[in-house]
Amino acid sequence: MSSTWMTTRAWLLMLPLLVVMVAVIGWPLVDTVGLSFTDAKLVGTGGNYVGFDNYTNMLSSSNFSRTLVTTTLFAVISVAAEMVIGVLAALLLNQQFHGRAILRALMILPWALPTVVNATLWRLIYNPEYGALNAALTQLNLIDAYRSWLGEPGTALVALIVADCWKNFPLVALIALAALQAVPRDITAASLVDGAGPFNRFRFVILPYLAGPLMVALVLRTIEAFKVFDIIWVMTRGGPANSTRTLSILVYQEAFSFQRAGSGASLALIVTLLVTVLAVAYAALVRKTAGSAA
Amino acid sequence: MSALEIRNVRKNYGSVETLKGIDIALQSGEFLVLLGSSGCGKSTLLNIIAGLAEATSGDVLIGGRSILGVHPKNRDIAMVFQSYALYPNLTVRRNIGFGLEMRGVAADEREKAVAEAARLLQIEALLDRKPSQLSGGQRQRVAIGRALVRKPQVFLFDEPLSNLDAKLRLEMRTELKRLHQMLQTTVVYVTHDQIEAMTLASRIAVMRDGRIEQLGTPEEIYNEPATLYVAGFVGAPSMNMLQATVQGTTLAIDGAKASLPLPARFRDAVQDGARVVAGIRPEALRVAADAAAPSVPVEIEVVELTGPELVTTARIGTQRLTACLPPASRVAKGQAASFAFSEDALRLFDPDTGKAF
Repeated sequence: MSSTWMTTRAWLLMLPLLVVMVAVIGWPLVDTVGLSFTDAKLVGTGGNYVGFDNYTNMLSSSNFSRTLVTTTLFAVISVAAEMVIGVLAALLLNQQFHGRAILRALMILPWALPTVVNATLWRLIYNPEYGALNAALTQLNLIDAYRSWLGEPGTALVALIVADCWKNFPLVALIALAALQAVPRDITAASLVDGAGPFNRFRFVILPYLAGPLMVALVLRTIEAFKVFDIIWVMTRGGPANSTRTLSILVYQEAFSFQRAGSGASLALIVTLLVTVLAVAYAALVRKTAGSAA
Repeated sequence: MSALEIRNVRKNYGSVETLKGIDIALQSGEFLVLLGSSGCGKSTLLNIIAGLAEATSGDVLIGGRSILGVHPKNRDIAMVFQSYALYPNLTVRRNIGFGLEMRGVAADEREKAVAEAARLLQIEALLDRKPSQLSGGQRQRVAIGRALVRKPQVFLFDEPLSNLDAKLRLEMRTELKRLHQMLQTTVVYVTHDQIEAMTLASRIAVMRDGRIEQLGTPEEIYNEPATLYVAGFVGAPSMNMLQATVQGTTLAIDGAKASLPLPARFRDAVQDGARVVAGIRPEALRVAADAAAPSVPVEIEVVELTGPELVTTARIGTQRLTACLPPASRVAKGQAASFAFSEDALRLFDPDTGKAF
């Protein structure tokens, strides 16, 4: 079979998928690029060409810089916490004990639940009048009176990060647990004979086998955390006083709440660009990690 | 005082008894090989010595001190694994020095020990490489180096040559022998390869079903196998086992019109009419040239030239015999011949208990 025919056949087989992708991703993207250079509103006419005004206005606005900081804080802290808790959970669930299989299955639950369900549960936990967190903390004498965790700018972002960690650490734990199965028993035994304690065993024996899979988890989670929308929308809608407003919430507000389609499109493209840069940087890191582990 | 003493060690996994009471005492500088097929318990015993598994009962002493319950790092042992078990992200230098590093040995002292081990194993040029950049043989040398630098009382080897190809295995075997002759360390070595056991050991413990079938020098194991199992397990090709019946001062070969003289040393041990298994090593057989030595009439069935010898399979009535003959021997398929052997080469076993007379 000639290589020309093989190539043609491959493209033919891919064609239906390509057509669908162009229709649902390619075209809207091109349309968004066009829209971002106009002052179009959500309803009404197409708007007038305004050049790079939307971009310059957006990038120079304090709203954007503040939201970018909030998004970065949310992404960095929640992903870092998820990685640490996920790895610790995986190490625990890798030990031999009765009921391990049940615990492994239970651990997946928060991740398997729809985000809206998770977010609603956490709203109940944080509820300022009957929330379980307030009840627990007052009974432990850690706080004097019930607080509105999601209603105070000082605590809302932290409360969101905790909820996000709760939802997403099982994914990291699951990936780490799978990677732990690949750690050769002989190397662990060798490190015991060599006198390595738990920390050095983790550092020199386990971590090299975890690094690659964890890097993949880090890439996936950072990108997701950077474009987070659903959990925040359900729990705080970006408030109070915009203290939990992330880039995706800002895009939504620009485009749909304030009906500034052109401005919203330019912001959406800026977020897309940021996420793409992250993805490319991480992909390079993954390749490097995979290369050094080989 | 023994360098290593294993006292009535037993190991159960649930209701399965993997080790059924092992007793071995090893003098300093001895090279003990635990030989047996898969599942015989040899690796379990090694892991118990290393502290990677706990014995259900019994005791293990190193240098007169009981080490049961002692952490592997405090047992004064070093271990070489079948899979090399090198740390993939560390260089050869750090792999070899890892045990010393974990024990807080100063960097310059560590460096000296690593250099010395690397010189002994001729891997000085590889010290800055990672394990992934090494061949199988080089990795095994690094694993041995990692054990050497620790200067432990007892070295444990768990099938260390099994992952190497045939040529490299031979080279490394010689290398291990050379190292042992030079360092005179106490070694416990697990293998299922009887050639490795024969060439390396000062004593061999042949294991079967969690028991020691025979413990002895390679010569004893080869020349005076204590059981049918040992006789069949050690030696390639395996020892010929002819079913026979004692008839006065002769052994009548079952299913054949042939008999052998019953050596005088067995006459008190076996009764007239008793059924026995007559064992003769293929190397002990030769084509009969005179009538002086005991011989059996055979019909040649298959002749295989391996290079140094002619492996000949022949029929004796309904039974078969294998002989390792000199390559120039004049034997051909279908030919009637007579195989002779020295009376001393004949072993007799009880077919019911499997034990040697």
